[in-house]
Amino acid sequence: MRLSRYIIRRLLLVIPVLLGVSIFIFTLTRLTGDPVAAYVNEKMSYEQIEMVREQYHLNDPLPQQYLYWLEGIVQGDWGWSRTAAMPVLDAVQYYLPATFELAVISILIAVVMGIALGTRSAIKKNKPFDHATRVISLIGVSIPVFWLGLLLLQLFYFELNLFPVKGRVSEMYIISGSLPGGPTGFYTIDSLLAGNLTLFGDVLWHLALPAITLSFGSIAVILRMQRNSMLEVLGLDYIKTARAKGLDEATVINKHARRNALIPTTTVVGLSFGALLGGAVLTESIFSWPGLGRWSAASITRMDSASILGFCLIVAFIYVMVNLIVDVLYAYLDPRVRLG
Amino acid sequence: MAVKSESKVAVTIEAPQSSRYINDIKAEIKPRLKELRNSISLIRENWTAMLGIVMVLFIVLMALFAPVLAPAQNAGDPMQIPADLSLPKPPFQDGLPLFGTGGNGIDIYYGVVWGARTTVVTSLYVVLTAALIGLVLGGLAGFYGGKIDEVIMRFTDIFLSMPALILAMAIASILTKSLEHMMFALIIVWWPSYARLIRGQVLSVRENTYVEASRAIGCKRNRILFKHIIPNSISPLIVSITLDLGAVALVSASLSYIGFGVGPGYAEWGRMISDGQRWFLSTITYNGVAYTPWWALVFPGMALLIFTMGCSLIGDGLRDILDPRSRRG
Repeated sequence: MRLSRYIIRRLLLVIPVLLGVSIFIFTLTRLTGDPVAAYVNEKMSYEQIEMVREQYHLNDPLPQQYLYWLEGIVQGDWGWSRTAAMPVLDAVQYYLPATFELAVISILIAVVMGIALGTRSAIKKNKPFDHATRVISLIGVSIPVFWLGLLLLQLFYFELNLFPVKGRVSEMYIISGSLPGGPTGFYTIDSLLAGNLTLFGDVLWHLALPAITLSFGSIAVILRMQRNSMLEVLGLDYIKTARAKGLDEATVINKHARRNALIPTTTVVGLSFGALLGGAVLTESIFSWPGLGRWSAASITRMDSASILGFCLIVAFIYVMVNLIVDVLYAYLDPRVRLG
Repeated sequence: MAVKSESKVAVTIEAPQSSRYINDIKAEIKPRLKELRNSISLIRENWTAMLGIVMVLFIVLMALFAPVLAPAQNAGDPMQIPADLSLPKPPFQDGLPLFGTGGNGIDIYYGVVWGARTTVVTSLYVVLTAALIGLVLGGLAGFYGGKIDEVIMRFTDIFLSMPALILAMAIASILTKSLEHMMFALIIVWWPSYARLIRGQVLSVRENTYVEASRAIGCKRNRILFKHIIPNSISPLIVSITLDLGAVALVSASLSYIGFGVGPGYAEWGRMISDGQRWFLSTITYNGVAYTPWWALVFPGMALLIFTMGCSLIGDGLRDILDPRSRRG
């Protein structure tokens, strides 16, 4: 099968999943109580409430209500977020860049560190380096994210005073209004585009602790996968051949072994992105990171289910898309997948 | 397989009815016992798995003997941590609770000990229920295929397209906050991965020649499914269950931490960490010495880490042992 046809097929498979997710979320919204409650206040008479009910099609059978609801979702009506005091979709747009920046930086750290450590520990199998990374990966998969974040804060903010305690940038930039109003919403990129290097440094300084906290678990997962697949590849015949024909070890590892070992690792990158979005809820609350995660955690304390479900919908969408990209990448890297 | 059915035939001819059943059961159990003994001796050689067992046992024993280790002081609900409603006090001081006290003066040692109960019970309950649901649905999907398979697998697709913590949040958000509702949400989150796992196993196991053989000698479908296919599909499930015990403990502590599940002052480690966070990064003085109340979150976190790490170590060890290719290869 050609790659383009594979992509089309894979795209078509995404549609039922997203529809399923939307039905699931819709069911949850209808289970929270009478949906008319979102549109009425205590001063309205019974007739007025009935009119609202009629206007929003809340008297129709459920499948039809679902279609109206879906139409609303597609057109941008995601309900009202009490926590953010704005429409849910506006809140999502407002908070998304902060979360996305944190998540992207964290996954980059996780991928680079995980692959480097995993490759090296496979080469040094059962040597001290391998044992050390095994301990790291064990701690990484078992440590509670929120606990790690708090410990890091205690050490690096409270004891050593090396890193800031909260936010994306220092207060002075917010107060003086010198934040980059750049096109991406990523403070790192926007500050670079504006040529403001001190601001860029400040943004990185604020990113460090949350990004380390969030990426730690994913480093462990990617490291493990890369180590295993590297070990498998190193035992294959073509590696023996490469060595037999006299290639130096660096070429064998970098050109022959690591490239092929990377293929199975790509799949866990997509999956860890999901875990990372979940971890963002915890990390953002700890570091007062003004993103989707903190917003949804705040919604929990207020029992603001419209916000929570909106958050879940957007995360599911991102997660499905990321895994789609990973699958396509996988098919590109490993032609055998396309044939299957 | 061939040996087993031979012995059965021999028994039916000679033995009287009652001993026939006993022999039948013996023939059934014997090879499994041998396999179990083999696995146990392999675990003994694997010191990391042994370390994991020690860690998990430590927490489980703490959960079992909580009333002895920290006698209940609240007559009503032992899970509610006793508190003297004062400022936090440091650990390891004479006349004070062993691990000090946290916000509202809750006894940290008491909370850690009884919190073991919450964690062990929650994760066991969630994982075993989810595995059972997954086993049945995944087994049916893999064995019967067709429409049943389609329906079940599309369901799992939907559930697996959301990260575990977020999906649990979505479900928990529409329920009132309680431990039972949190467990319910976690079960809904966890069964699809088991269903997937079992389905895949069943699909590969049913292609084996011994399944073909039992079909050829006229075994009924259910007998093949429950006697041959499911028992032979189960070892990855056991690995998965062990690893997930730790994972569920982590996610449920996270949910409690962000405010789902139990209320303040309840003996649950995630909840205790979030309660302790209020005093964290502030300074209190006790007997003229200044302290930062780190103990209110370090001790519960350590306990949780011991449990999750132990589960991971056992799970990894079991994976090596139960996979015959890596064992006898």
